[in-house]
Amino acid sequence: MSSAPAPGAMLRDNLWTNNPIFMQILGICSALAVTNLLTNTMIMTIAVVGVMGMTNLTVSLIKSLIPRKVRMMVQTLIIASYVIVVDIILRAYLPDISRALGPYVGLIITNCIIMGRAEAFAQQNPPLLSVWDGVTSAFGYMGVLLAIALIRELLGFGSLFGYQVMPEIFEPWIIMVMPPSAFFVLGIVIWIGKAIMEREGAPA
Amino acid sequence: MNKQNFGYTILFTAVVSFVFVLALAVVNEVTADQIQFNREVRLVRSVLDAMGVEFEDDEHARELFNDVQQVEQNGLSLYRFARNEEVLYAKQYSGAGLWGPIRGHLGIRADGERTLGLTILEHDETPGLGGRIDEPWFQEQFRNKRLVDGRIRMGSRDGQGDFVEDSGEFDGITGATSTSQAMERIINNHLEEITRALGGAS
Repeated sequence: MSSAPAPGAMLRDNLWTNNPIFMQILGICSALAVTNLLTNTMIMTIAVVGVMGMTNLTVSLIKSLIPRKVRMMVQTLIIASYVIVVDIILRAYLPDISRALGPYVGLIITNCIIMGRAEAFAQQNPPLLSVWDGVTSAFGYMGVLLAIALIRELLGFGSLFGYQVMPEIFEPWIIMVMPPSAFFVLGIVIWIGKAIMEREGAPA
Repeated sequence: MNKQNFGYTILFTAVVSFVFVLALAVVNEVTADQIQFNREVRLVRSVLDAMGVEFEDDEHARELFNDVQQVEQNGLSLYRFARNEEVLYAKQYSGAGLWGPIRGHLGIRADGERTLGLTILEHDETPGLGGRIDEPWFQEQFRNKRLVDGRIRMGSRDGQGDFVEDSGEFDGITGATSTSQAMERIINNHLEEITRALGGAS
């Protein structure tokens, strides 16, 4: 790295112009699985923010010690450790949410965004900047997931964060609760995102 | 030292693995009691709920649970709670739902004429459809429900729940017929087992 990237530009990049989900199309497995209720999505994405920040920090701190051959194995070990810590904490202090998320917490390990940022950013950059990169990328991910969850919960259950907001006569769209609807909603969200970007004149 | 050579790679991998596994072991150890406690409280609440016993909070529930005995009745393991003049029973049930096992507790009066309540601890039914069996209204239908010919049938009302205690029926979930039928089968299988075990005793 010749010069360190500016934090402000990184923020904009990770949240919008290079958003992990709708520009890089990474991490969509979880975008499909845990987006039918806002509360679950919120907890899960907060966990991802924590795991990504810590992973990037750790990888960046020990990057000069890691032998190249086992680089990715070590990254996976680090990610897995933090995810297991999150899982244990949820199980101990938020048992209801832990049950609702079920196996999806463990599946954060396989979220490609985390390893992608560890490999692409934290391996070459100083610790604090890497934390910033991890956290902002995770916020980009969180934003898109919450948008999808908002649409799915509102139409699928008629509620937001568990509070009924639609009138009694509203008939919930059962398809919105099922995983396939996430494909449609994700596609529409990407479409809208790119359309706005094109209007802004950015190369979409 | 050359960081790319074989010896260093092995050493580094071993040290990193050791450090992270140690850290995990510590976190696990520190929270083990809390996790165990959560599990117990959940079981206690479920048993009492199934018996229709009211409690204020976790502590109160654990206190009440001290008087609940685990008994073997004609080879069937049951929870037994003698309170005032009543004797309440509950059984841990499990059975096949549409996608996976459904587990919980089923409470029944000592005379076997009415259920006391139903709880669901675990299920893998479709969220928003069969998954609605874990909503309170579904489970409340089994409060003090009279058994007709030793059974509770699935009726088809409006999908809002059947809260008539003497109807001997519960309302299935709209759009989740398979899960509702699975619940009917599971509940009746277990009711039969329990009434047989209790009946044999008298």
